[in-house]
Amino acid sequence: MLAGSVAHAELVGDAEAGRKLAGQCRTCHGADGYAQIPVAPHIGGEPVAYLAAQLTAFREGTRQHEMMSVVAKSLTDMQIADLAAWYGGVTAISDLPDGISADAAPSACITCHGADGLSLMQDAPNLAGENVIYIETQLKAFRTGKRRHAAMTDIAKSLTEAEMRAAAEWYAATQLTLTR
Amino acid sequence: MNRLLSSIAALALMAGLGLAQGAGVPDNLEKLSNFQQTGVTEFTFIEQGGDYAAGIKATLEKITMPDGFKIELYAVVPDARHMAVGPQGIVTFVGTRKDKVWAVTDRNKDRIADEVKDFAPSLTFSIPNGPCFSKDGFLYIAEQNRVLLFPAAEFFYESPDVAAFNLVEKGKLIPVEEESFNHTARVCKIGPDGKIYISLGQPFNVAPAEKLDLYNEVGIGGIIRMNVDGSAREVYTYGVRNSVGHDFHPETGELWWTDNQVDGMGDDIPPGEINRQTEAGQHFGAPWYGGGSVRTAEYEGEEVPVEVVMPASETVAHAADLGMSFYTGNMFPEKYRNAIFSAQHGSWNRTTPVGARVMVTFIDDEGTATTEPFAEGWIDENGEYLGRPVDVVNLRDGSILVSDDLAGALYRISYE
Repeated sequence: MLAGSVAHAELVGDAEAGRKLAGQCRTCHGADGYAQIPVAPHIGGEPVAYLAAQLTAFREGTRQHEMMSVVAKSLTDMQIADLAAWYGGVTAISDLPDGISADAAPSACITCHGADGLSLMQDAPNLAGENVIYIETQLKAFRTGKRRHAAMTDIAKSLTEAEMRAAAEWYAATQLTLTR
Repeated sequence: MNRLLSSIAALALMAGLGLAQGAGVPDNLEKLSNFQQTGVTEFTFIEQGGDYAAGIKATLEKITMPDGFKIELYAVVPDARHMAVGPQGIVTFVGTRKDKVWAVTDRNKDRIADEVKDFAPSLTFSIPNGPCFSKDGFLYIAEQNRVLLFPAAEFFYESPDVAAFNLVEKGKLIPVEEESFNHTARVCKIGPDGKIYISLGQPFNVAPAEKLDLYNEVGIGGIIRMNVDGSAREVYTYGVRNSVGHDFHPETGELWWTDNQVDGMGDDIPPGEINRQTEAGQHFGAPWYGGGSVRTAEYEGEEVPVEVVMPASETVAHAADLGMSFYTGNMFPEKYRNAIFSAQHGSWNRTTPVGARVMVTFIDDEGTATTEPFAEGWIDENGEYLGRPVDVVNLRDGSILVSDDLAGALYRISYE
């Protein structure tokens, strides 16, 4: 786990304060965290700790993205906690496509991300309903070291291009519903 | 029919281009290059009526334009990005920033599409944002890191298996380790010289110095061109941040293109750009300039080592000028002839959103370009986007199509 998220573990965010701050997120991530553009992930219903860790990583430059590095730069620890509380307060539901069994889910992913793409641990994001290219891009970032994570770096390195694509297509085919 | 036959005849010449994919990559390109069937028979069709279309139509009632112009829903097309209208006027291909290309058909010619289905469903696409057509009916699709070519696409698209060849094989458009998702919406057009021009955005807000040599060599942060057999690739344009729209002036043949400028310098700088390129190899200022004459913080005070061409027209900061086409039809009033119609996608982190509209740029006899809003109203009273225009193309009847990747739609603008 990233050091930043440990430092924040004691900060409890205020979802209402986060809602106001989220005005600057909604063009890409949506008011409730359902992404509005393909390069942005769905962030509604993510584990609070994951959201806080990623915002902190963008702020500190340990994770980089052309847009997120710009907006995260000026966030305080409290603002990060508030935003995480707001988007983490959404409930995420995922449905597999009709006639598809969870048994066919990619075995390398399900322990942390679930067969339906809903996270099973605080350190892992939901993957449900993310588009193929977003997931594939993150896997390649882990493989090349542009993005780092104790578990994901090795997993991404063990996957072939075809396996990455197949895993991305599996989660992209799930239907994400966000409710508050 | 002659055109179709000549396109098919040309296939024989193209066969040599069908380079095999790397071993282990599940892609049907090799089969399609050899005119084999892939076994994929299912198209995905997009529902064109219903509540979803009604919602878009309600938004269009809010759009304002000069007198006499009308905007209508032409098609529901998920994630609609850049468009290429087939030279026979049968089908419009629409790219996305995901993994699909859509084929939009107006069979009964009532100027509303009847059918929207995915193109070449047996192929695996990655960010197939940029389709473009040659005059003789070859469709090119610029992806994240590949350019495919489809001879006689207007004929073959009715089948799930289309003839498909590599123009630039996967992994050869840019070095694989330079791949990104953002700033990777490529666009292409065939120039008056018969070469294909392809934009290659650079993935940073401001490109770091250590990347510049590589970028200049490959054409990242630039526009490249090559022959339509893939030979003689060269960098045509330098100093681009992320251009997502270009077209050739119908009379001068000069390349004009939009550019998206630097974020994080405040709400009102730097300006967006519409650029005019008069010769190969010109440099347009990135990363030393963030847009217009505004210097980037990262390169502040550094002497600019190149001669820089300033934009032909500056647009409002952060509006995100994307796709553009010169107007070549006869339907609109005379003053629009050879004017540029372009799309502003809308800002993503400006305090008050700007953009989400169609702009028109008039170019006078001295070459001075003046840009003004043409169709607007996609930002509501709460500052929320109702739609985000991406690209503008000419239809053969003189009307124009506008794509919108938020609503997932194409609009047709006509004049009476």
